[in-house]
Amino acid sequence: MRVTEIMDCELAVGDADADSAHANAAKLSTALAASALVAACGGGGGGGATTGTAPGTGTTTPAASPGLTYTTAATDEEASRFLLQAQFSASDAEIASVRTKGYATWLREQMATPAGTTGFTWLDQRGYGTISATTNYYDNSYPGDYMLWNQLMTSGDAVRKRMALALSEFFVVSLSGLDFSWRSHAIAAWWDMLSTNAFGNYRNLLQDVTLNPAMGYYLNVKGNLKENVATNRAPDENYGREVMQLFTLGLYQLNLDGSVKLDANGIKLETYTQIDITNIARVFTGWDFDQTQNVNTLEPVNNRNVPNTVFTRLPMRLTPANHSTLASTFFGATVPANTDGVAALKIALDTLFNHPNVGPFFGKQMIQRLVTSNPSPAYVARVASVFNNNGAGVRGDLQAMFAAVLLDDEARAPAGLTQPGFGKLREPIVRLVQWGRTFGINSARGSWKIGDLSNPATQLGQSPLRSPSVFNFFRPGYVPPSTALSASQTPAPEFQLVNESSVGGYLNAMQTTIRNGIFVNAPDLPQSTSNTTNGYDITAAYTAELALVLDTAALVKRLNVLLCAGQMSAANQILIVNALNGTVVTSTSADGVKRDRVAAAVLLVMASSEYLIQK
Amino acid sequence: MHLLDFDKHSRRSFLRRSGQLALSGTALPFALNLAAMGEAAAFDATDYKALVCVFFYGGNDYANTVVTYDDPGYNQYSTIRGGGAGQTAGGIAIAKSALGATLLNPTTPLPGGRQYALHPAMTGMANLFNTGKAAVQLNVGPLVAPLTKAQYLGSDRTTYPLPPKLFSHNDQQSIWQSSSPEGSTVGWGGKIGDLALSGNSTSLFTCINVTGNAVLLSGDSALSYQVSTNGAVAINGVKNNVYGSSAVKTALATLIQQPRAHTLENEYNKVTARAIGAEAQISTSLAASTVSTVFPTGNSLGDQLKLVARLIGARNGLGAKRQVFLVSIGGFDLHDNLIAQHPALLGKVSDAMTAFYNATVELGVANKVTAFTASDFGRTLASNGDGSDHGWGSHHFMVGGAVKGAAFYGTAPPVSVANTASAQDQWHVGQGRLLPTTAVDQYAATMASWFGVADSELSGILPNLRRFGTAAGRPDYPTNLGFMA
Repeated sequence: MRVTEIMDCELAVGDADADSAHANAAKLSTALAASALVAACGGGGGGGATTGTAPGTGTTTPAASPGLTYTTAATDEEASRFLLQAQFSASDAEIASVRTKGYATWLREQMATPAGTTGFTWLDQRGYGTISATTNYYDNSYPGDYMLWNQLMTSGDAVRKRMALALSEFFVVSLSGLDFSWRSHAIAAWWDMLSTNAFGNYRNLLQDVTLNPAMGYYLNVKGNLKENVATNRAPDENYGREVMQLFTLGLYQLNLDGSVKLDANGIKLETYTQIDITNIARVFTGWDFDQTQNVNTLEPVNNRNVPNTVFTRLPMRLTPANHSTLASTFFGATVPANTDGVAALKIALDTLFNHPNVGPFFGKQMIQRLVTSNPSPAYVARVASVFNNNGAGVRGDLQAMFAAVLLDDEARAPAGLTQPGFGKLREPIVRLVQWGRTFGINSARGSWKIGDLSNPATQLGQSPLRSPSVFNFFRPGYVPPSTALSASQTPAPEFQLVNESSVGGYLNAMQTTIRNGIFVNAPDLPQSTSNTTNGYDITAAYTAELALVLDTAALVKRLNVLLCAGQMSAANQILIVNALNGTVVTSTSADGVKRDRVAAAVLLVMASSEYLIQK
Repeated sequence: MHLLDFDKHSRRSFLRRSGQLALSGTALPFALNLAAMGEAAAFDATDYKALVCVFFYGGNDYANTVVTYDDPGYNQYSTIRGGGAGQTAGGIAIAKSALGATLLNPTTPLPGGRQYALHPAMTGMANLFNTGKAAVQLNVGPLVAPLTKAQYLGSDRTTYPLPPKLFSHNDQQSIWQSSSPEGSTVGWGGKIGDLALSGNSTSLFTCINVTGNAVLLSGDSALSYQVSTNGAVAINGVKNNVYGSSAVKTALATLIQQPRAHTLENEYNKVTARAIGAEAQISTSLAASTVSTVFPTGNSLGDQLKLVARLIGARNGLGAKRQVFLVSIGGFDLHDNLIAQHPALLGKVSDAMTAFYNATVELGVANKVTAFTASDFGRTLASNGDGSDHGWGSHHFMVGGAVKGAAFYGTAPPVSVANTASAQDQWHVGQGRLLPTTAVDQYAATMASWFGVADSELSGILPNLRRFGTAAGRPDYPTNLGFMA
């Protein structure tokens, strides 16, 4: 199916004379954003059924639509490549579906997939909302880890969850930094909020981020008090600073393509000053947890009143008396003195949202998370243009922007497969989730007790929503020192997690996990304890792989498609096949021997740098 | 005496060659094994020095760490921070009565009757200070050039440049470590390491990082080598058969170390190859190196410093003459909960650094090992109700037998948050964010000189240093602060 065909049924948007980036925005809008469009076209099921050629023919639109040339996957490898960027894993069925429907239609359908069980609901279903002195879940963060891994491993709406994970590395709250009652529920509410907004509008997301209780605690909007001249107290500046530096603008003024604007002397133009921060900090005063719906339960052992969990998912509430009444001005905008707190927040967030930096600043980082560490300026400009205008005059349409990231030629074209610097290091969380989803992970007792895997020497060195700080696990501008990348100042963000300890920690952890699964204490109980049911509760089925155990070449070929999108060289496939053949396996071999062979194949692939670097 | 004052040009060319070797891939597990190449510099068997950077991530609150104690100063501090009547605790102020046990007694009192005490949790550090094993550098922070408040507030950035991205965590961390904001790839610890590479028989063990990736220890040639608090991580799959198969083990070893045409693939494999190459030597040497000094438990910084002490104990097995280490502790970004959470952090710092000093005594290297602290920035003196906000200059500690201890270096800043033209308001840039009176470059240069870096080589390590010191016409900002023996 061709993008231009869908355009046929779109209202005239876009300007034929606009530059290619703007033209692209219009095309994207028509191609994907709009489920409304699908309805208008009477489509929604078959995608390509609206007009024109049959889907899945493998043809690509000629260069007429620069930036969006590749609409269908001609091979399983191309489909897998797309799937591994758009979500965590690729299955046989998903590959077939992408090939049949084309990228845009498949993506649009996934974006329309309703969210599954929320993290918050899952916690309650598992009993983690219980008030008890023995389990005291309200004081523990491990239910949050279990919830997050379960969401990533099992949710049906994997595309949404992949985008939410990317968002969680831009808008960072760390479970490790939450120290208040019901922190696991609070991180669930935060995660659910990101998931909900992943295909919504950035402006709403920014509002929800700002007033979320977990964020409020993490960056101190919660309880932030207006100035008091008599006591020398000033508003807390933390959120005011980071919402600009990390969540909207960045440090330097950007062109549409993400390049930094320079003054006449070649000096980088900064986006804000300390004075702007001190001013905008006043806007974020007066807010605190909304505890108006609290119902306390007496926990009798410690004689402690424990509230219900609802405050962790209510937007924070304004106490007008605690809100600064001073005027504040920041890069051109003014909140007049005595402005109501809600109105002041609207002025501030509207100002941030409408700043021209947001599209390239945010868009480039989403490209980095999903596709490649070093996108071309033109790619950034195309994505930023869609952020600025989805083709229907809407700014901040995340559905359109994520589609622009994933459908862009730079993500789809074969050229990236042969460029020596294209792609990114697949981050450890994504590797484990890919393993689980690809090979049929299951928790036999439903425990889903996968905990904090942050230790780099013995575990993954990364765990979802466990960043060491609001600066994420890695910085978008991180350049690995003492490498070929440092001379050219080429960023490779995920390499901030790579060192002589973490490379081995990952391999050692995976060697056990791939073969045996994940060892769980007391999988029969939700709480953290140990009993006679301790064991490998969480395991991979390897059904299709075990069926190929006697045909090592086919087994490795399959893993190459599913795990590497076909990006493993023939030489290394042969190397692996020969190693597997070093141990004789026959149809009558013990199950353990067969499983050893499958595990060895998976480990070797997942250890190889051709897998680790996702292209 | 300077360790590096042999022929500069030949050493430069040598470094260049060794740098090429370092980038030559995986063929040589110890690409810079200079002893094996017969080019080891001439050190005697007892010659050893180490610098240990203790980084406080998040920006430490200087005002509650090195607390102003003299009555006029304390009373101002208490007023600014919301202290209670009669010098009692309140707001984010510590009660004066709580500070008596950690009062610092310098050999030479500060001018103007100024006195300081350490946070009450820092008894070990106060004891090190008062016994002459530790000193405090007052109000140190990034500066491109000496700077007054008027110059800071002025617009002539050509004559009076500012450090980029003041008050920003990631950038100020990077600037402390490398003089450049985020994205920098060469730090001053690594540049010192560059000069020391030739003295160490296994150059990879020159710059050792026991915490997460950070730029401080990466040089032009020197690599920042990372170990865990348990030492080097052995990769099971290359040491033992994998699922019973030696063929899989062999294939794994090949796959994870093979050179690749793709840049990212190749760099990843290079790290793995380096890890495998170094692991056995680290593990063997550490196995024979124990310290009996008791380190605090439940203290990650203590775990890191204990490992550093053991590595120093293993220096002969590792062939190390000059080493630079990095350890860290996080959690200092206390916009809230300063009173609740700061004590535990500073207690851990004090306990861990005290144990580490004691371990160097046990190892007989107390005069050869200098630990020093660093952080993103100081914080505001003003309170935001429950904590403090991002600042600039801060107070830091130097600990070791070679430190001229029981002394303050630098200038005690006035205790003020006001913005008047009076003298006492000239050393902060709003809300008590200290305008540094000592540059990080001066601080680093002083330790680099002790380490053995020649004066002529300092400016290559610390790019802003040329604007400081007598040669720059600024004897009031000396390139050697004098705190090292």
